[in-house]
Amino acid sequence: MDPPIYYSKAEFIETDTGNKVSRRATIAGPQNIILGGKTIISSGAIIRGDLRRTGPGHAVVISLGRYCLVGEGCVMRPPYKTYRGNFNYYPMKIGDHVHIGANSVVEAATIGNHVEIGKNCVIGKFTIIKDCAKIADNTIVPPNTVIPALSLFAGSPGRFIEDLPESTQEMVEAQTKQFYTRFQPLER
Amino acid sequence: MLKRSEDEDGPGRGPHDLRDASTCQDVLSLSISSTAGYPVGGTEMAPSVQYHCACLSSSPAPPPPHLPSSSSSFHPLHTLFFCEECDAVRCNRCVAVEVSTYYCPNCLFEVPSASVRAEKNRCARNCFMCPNCRNTLSVVPSDPPENSDGRLTVPISAVGEPPFFLYCNHCRWDSAEVGITFEKPTGLAAQLQKFEDSAPDSLEFDRLKEHFEPFIPAASAALARDIPGVSKYNPSQGDEMTEYRSRVDIATASRMGTGGGDADVEYMRHLETVSEVASLNQRWTSSWATSFQARDLKPLRIPLHSKRSKRCPACTHILIKPEQKAQSVRYKIKLVAANYLPAITVTLPHAQQAQAEAARRSLGKSTAAAPEDDRGGSGVGMHAGKTYPFHLALTNPLYDPIQVRLSVQRMHVSTATTTSADGSATEKARRPPFAVSLPTSSFPIAAFAEAWEYEDDEDMFGVDDDEVGAGRGGREKDGRGKVKTVGVLEKRANVTVVGGEVVIGKEARGAVKFNMLVSYTYRSDDPAPSEGNDGSPTKSTKPPEIKTFAFYTVVDLGLIIPREDVRLDSES
Repeated sequence: MDPPIYYSKAEFIETDTGNKVSRRATIAGPQNIILGGKTIISSGAIIRGDLRRTGPGHAVVISLGRYCLVGEGCVMRPPYKTYRGNFNYYPMKIGDHVHIGANSVVEAATIGNHVEIGKNCVIGKFTIIKDCAKIADNTIVPPNTVIPALSLFAGSPGRFIEDLPESTQEMVEAQTKQFYTRFQPLER
Repeated sequence: MLKRSEDEDGPGRGPHDLRDASTCQDVLSLSISSTAGYPVGGTEMAPSVQYHCACLSSSPAPPPPHLPSSSSSFHPLHTLFFCEECDAVRCNRCVAVEVSTYYCPNCLFEVPSASVRAEKNRCARNCFMCPNCRNTLSVVPSDPPENSDGRLTVPISAVGEPPFFLYCNHCRWDSAEVGITFEKPTGLAAQLQKFEDSAPDSLEFDRLKEHFEPFIPAASAALARDIPGVSKYNPSQGDEMTEYRSRVDIATASRMGTGGGDADVEYMRHLETVSEVASLNQRWTSSWATSFQARDLKPLRIPLHSKRSKRCPACTHILIKPEQKAQSVRYKIKLVAANYLPAITVTLPHAQQAQAEAARRSLGKSTAAAPEDDRGGSGVGMHAGKTYPFHLALTNPLYDPIQVRLSVQRMHVSTATTTSADGSATEKARRPPFAVSLPTSSFPIAAFAEAWEYEDDEDMFGVDDDEVGAGRGGREKDGRGKVKTVGVLEKRANVTVVGGEVVIGKEARGAVKFNMLVSYTYRSDDPAPSEGNDGSPTKSTKPPEIKTFAFYTVVDLGLIIPREDVRLDSES
């Protein structure tokens, strides 16, 4: 029903699993990043897969689920801390059907499924966002915040505003799937 | 399964409206006062459809949409519930709510309801809220690790040297400022609750509670009198109430904070920054007159949240029952209206075209900036004195095909007479702002299914006849031979798109907003479709039962751009 969202075919790389990644996005350390499939990385986004945990072996730094959207100009950076004198980065795990609005900075530790993050948000280090939560536009979530399931957060610092309706999961799922089908290439 | 078991007349039902459908176009003029309609709903630019819940009104028909108060009767579809027993729509305003689980929103611990009262509805673990900015506080040691570059690090771990204190990551408030420090980083709530419990206000409260304790059974019986199984309040048992003597004299209590009266004035005189005074928001959760100095604010234990189950107000059947686990988003029972009523979305083709054009043009540019351009775009708004088509897409959530009929709500005779009575002169001078045409013949929507089989359904309902009828009707009304705008436009899977048309008057202003009655019929030939084995013989013997359900919606197409604005646009 909604009109398609066009992108220029030359700009995006489509993977076998349907991920669409802009050539204008900065993907650092791609070997440490997992995309679940049908996930869109918009232009200008920065994903820091290079900030990995010190130590030998392979390490997943950032994992995104299916039907996610990393908006334009977003920065995805794994959280870090100095624990017992050792500085380290910690992995960031993001579930399915997660949309992150344009120009948001995300340093969360865990983001559940069906989460909506608005535009121009700052999600502080080690934030835990549970399933079906929603962060309104321009929200500043301070470090170590826990955002419970089905809650709307807004403001600076981000505060609980209200409970979301029971059908949020279905709504977000339909919306993210629809967004992926609307996101269509345009030959030029 | 998504089938209705019986067909009663619910409150959301308008049985008389089915007879209104005539064979040709149903054109209705709606009068709308420009002053009332203008600012309401203007915040949202996109056209919308909201559903009516009849809980606020005595009649099944919704209030006229131009009244600002009507917005409280209409809700987005996804927030509504559906009671199968009553066969009616329920909203958050009318359902009965009960708590099923308590949990802390920070540590996500599920608190047993027995300890909720003892812990005063707040988290009794290590969760605290900043009294200054309401952020969560972290426990930090008094020796923050030195950073090599000399910048202030955000202390996050509770490992280190005592004394420990609470620190806010956001506003940098810390509990050492108000003299609260801890010897060990665990069990802080218990340590703080000791302070809380020895405060004069909570001691007074405990005393009051003790005093009223004997009367509580009687009082709670009175409160619970509507609940079946609980005996009625008998006022004869507890009328002799002894006089209460307060612990603290009221005169001394008023001087509890900084000292009250003159002391407060004195303090205000020597104020250097506004932030020294605690804002009302920071103080009003305390039950007692507290100091208004910001430096006296104490860390707050985090109030608990709850998961709630919801019941139908009429028959007390459960509509929503969440899973016990606090962070689960699944439900044991979830009767939401979206599974019963067709979902309706409305679009304005001319606005959509303009938007698509803008999107093509701005391709490569940031789409984040694009929506701002659309607002001022001349193609998006609706100008006075023009005619616009609109599309309604209806999605069938049922496993049965349905026949839908749309009609614009007629104005009540009573409201019509009152408007002519109080302002006949002005009403006559102004023509009705807009007229809406909708297809009047009913149209089918195919069943919701995992594997789509809609060819059969089309044959069953004789779709072609309907389409021709609706199309002809549209042309008759318009008097021109152009593309059909009113009628069934498209059918795919369980979605049917129908077109409507709105004619906006020359002097019109305000919002194009009208109430629409949606009635649909569905076959419920099998009362228990999930139990298939025994169902088939009964199904063959019984004739298919046709049931009808009707509900009201309000369609908001957006604001009309008045004539003056048009001229301004063309000049600039």
